[in-house]
Amino acid sequence: MSDINKQRRQFLKLATAISVAVASLSPMQVIAGKITEDNKMDATEHAVFTKMLTTSLPTEGSPLIPPASLPVIPTIEGALLAGMPPHIRQGLNQGIHYFNQGPLKKYGKSFNELPDEQATAFVDEWTSSEKAPHRALAMGLKKLTVLAYWAIPDTWTPLGYVGPVSEKWKLKYRGVTPEPKA
Amino acid sequence: MMSNKNQLNVKTSEDMTATELNIEADVVIIGSGAGGGISAYELAKAGKKVIILEAGPYVPSEKFTEMMAVSMATMYEGEGAQSNTDGDITVLQGRCVGGSTVVNAALCFRTPDYYLKKWGKEFGLTNLTPEVMLPYFEKVEKNLGITEVKPHETSSGAETIKKGLKALDIPLGLARRNIRDCAMTGFCFAGCKTDRKQSMMVTYLPWACNHGAEIYADTRVTKISAENGTAKGVNAEVIDPKTGVTKTRLSVKAPIVVLAAGPTGSPLLLQQSGLANSSGQVGKNFACHPSLSVTAIYEKKLNDFHGATHSLFDDRHTLPENGGWIQLNAVQDPVEASFMAEPGTGKPYVRYMQNYPNSTRLITLIHDKNVGEVTMENGYKEIRYQVDDEDFEAMKKGLKENARILFASGAKYLYLPTYDTQRINSVDEIDSVIDALENESARYRYTSFHPQGTCRMGTDKSKTVVNPYGETHDIKNLYVVDASLLPTSIGYNPSETVYALASYIADQINEANPG
Ligand SMILES: Cc1cc2nc3c(=O)[nH]c(=O)nc-3n(C[C@H](O)[C@H](O)[C@H](O)COP(=O)(O)OP(=O)(O)OC[C@H]3O[C@@H](n4cnc5c(N)ncnc54)[C@H](O)[C@@H]3O)c2cc1C
Repeated sequence: MSDINKQRRQFLKLATAISVAVASLSPMQVIAGKITEDNKMDATEHAVFTKMLTTSLPTEGSPLIPPASLPVIPTIEGALLAGMPPHIRQGLNQGIHYFNQGPLKKYGKSFNELPDEQATAFVDEWTSSEKAPHRALAMGLKKLTVLAYWAIPDTWTPLGYVGPVSEKWKLKYRGVTPEPKA
Repeated sequence: MMSNKNQLNVKTSEDMTATELNIEADVVIIGSGAGGGISAYELAKAGKKVIILEAGPYVPSEKFTEMMAVSMATMYEGEGAQSNTDGDITVLQGRCVGGSTVVNAALCFRTPDYYLKKWGKEFGLTNLTPEVMLPYFEKVEKNLGITEVKPHETSSGAETIKKGLKALDIPLGLARRNIRDCAMTGFCFAGCKTDRKQSMMVTYLPWACNHGAEIYADTRVTKISAENGTAKGVNAEVIDPKTGVTKTRLSVKAPIVVLAAGPTGSPLLLQQSGLANSSGQVGKNFACHPSLSVTAIYEKKLNDFHGATHSLFDDRHTLPENGGWIQLNAVQDPVEASFMAEPGTGKPYVRYMQNYPNSTRLITLIHDKNVGEVTMENGYKEIRYQVDDEDFEAMKKGLKENARILFASGAKYLYLPTYDTQRINSVDEIDSVIDALENESARYRYTSFHPQGTCRMGTDKSKTVVNPYGETHDIKNLYVVDASLLPTSIGYNPSETVYALASYIADQINEANPG
């Protein structure tokens, strides 16, 4: 197989892994996983998610809670990444590295080094790319990031959403329905 | 009030001490969801000793958290992580005592006569006529309290969408649900904490236990065995959900095996057991009703957070010859809303989420072709499925109608559930924006709530897995009673179809095995 073909196959594999990892997270799933040496974030992943957090949630001037004041990155690591099946977690790791290198050609910097405006433009370029793997990677990382933010109940207050209600509303338990009489 | 009778006779991994356990019974049922629950009761009531094995945990309703994130992790298949191979369609299924009925939205439709007739013609299911099925629908409707939503059982979003339907002269479809005295929390998908949803966990399963049935939770069946073409029982593992360690190897010897592990679980078990696949169709013909949700933003706040999960629909186009899609309203929490639309990265996204209180949504769900396949590859479940091109065209037509209804209800603008920004600013833009959509992977935010069809039913042994009475063609006394039976996708939410078919098959089992 030619090198280009090999690279292409590897690329498609990465994109599939990341989109599976991300589909895994819908809707609104947070898995309480166990952080191990194998699944914890490496330095690049940490930098990519940190950059993605400021890129996707610039809350200044809005009533939303600033993400820096919340444990979003630990939520991504402990609640989302750690629960993924190992083969998907591994694919995701490679996908994140690939994504980080994505802007090098056009912007001369890796994603985690881009100024905010260029980082935003790069994510938008990839989410609307003609290449399915680029779409999957950009969307996936964005989704992981915002999902971890919104999974923290503090973020709901500015929206007026109150979360669980049965206890607040003092609802009565109905219990098991009686068996029908023949 | 709960009585001592009428409770679940359930053992979990915590109760298991022996490393091996051998049980004898008249019937072993694999899976405790819609099909498993109904058949457990009907068979136990007829005097049979019934054992139900459920891979998922037992989560009593008072432990439901009303936090989707937590419910997904505990009560859904693959912790909510199940998707097609491309990773662009999330395939949701319950995995707990009660199966998907614990986490579903409780919307019920009878199987349309159209499909019963089609299945008669194309699959030889001439036994399942509308006349034969009617008493089964009536029975499950009565037992599960399936009734139309009351005028107060709605949500602010549904009330808004209703205005759009009225303005366009579209007849209002009022949801029928298996719910008694809905408390309007909007938490159907996280499990109904106060037991108003009539899931298997508060109905058929405890009723089965009244007649001696026993449930083993945390218990995954690994193999079905048969001798000389007749079912003999199953092997299973009781796994501690906290550690993943197998505590007990369980075997149940039973002359009747009822497979109700759902449309991804059942075919895998047959494949792993090397049974009932002379047709080569086990795992094939998978359909899943892909759905896309259009988000509408309004001038004023709707706070569409709580209320009936679904209370209205428009089904004028649901049959394939009328288009093949259905529209349903739905309430949504901010976590789900956070990724349902793509307004653009950064500031536009922050504005979109600030507008969450001003939003509602309408789901377009399509009748799809049975083009998928479920298999096990390298120890992992694979669901190979992509939306068929023709089905995608049906989706586009449905999305156009969806958008018209939302604008007629007063929406300022709409977001399509795509990967890149697709905003529709006015009625005039609907056609041009939606016509430009193409059927490609990683473009759309699909969710499937209704996997179906992997062990389909019919007379032709070379094209179907299960005969018209629910028994596999190849193995005597091995029955299938879940959504994998459906010969074609039905375009409507399928739970009542599964309830009624399972009820019908239980009667067939009782008739063939009296005493
Ligand atoms: C979130 C959600 C919302 C839905 N909303 C609606 C709705 O509003 N209306 C509607 O009509 N339908 C709805 N559905 C679909 C409906 O609930 C299903 O079609 C129906 O429950 C299918 O029944 P089943 O018996 O095939 O499978 P399930 O009810 O899914 O039960 C299968 C059970 O088998 C168990 N199992 C699997 N493998 C094994 C094994 N190897 N050993 C032991 N046990 C095993 C699983 O853990 C599961 O509990 C919804 C589904 C979901 C997930």
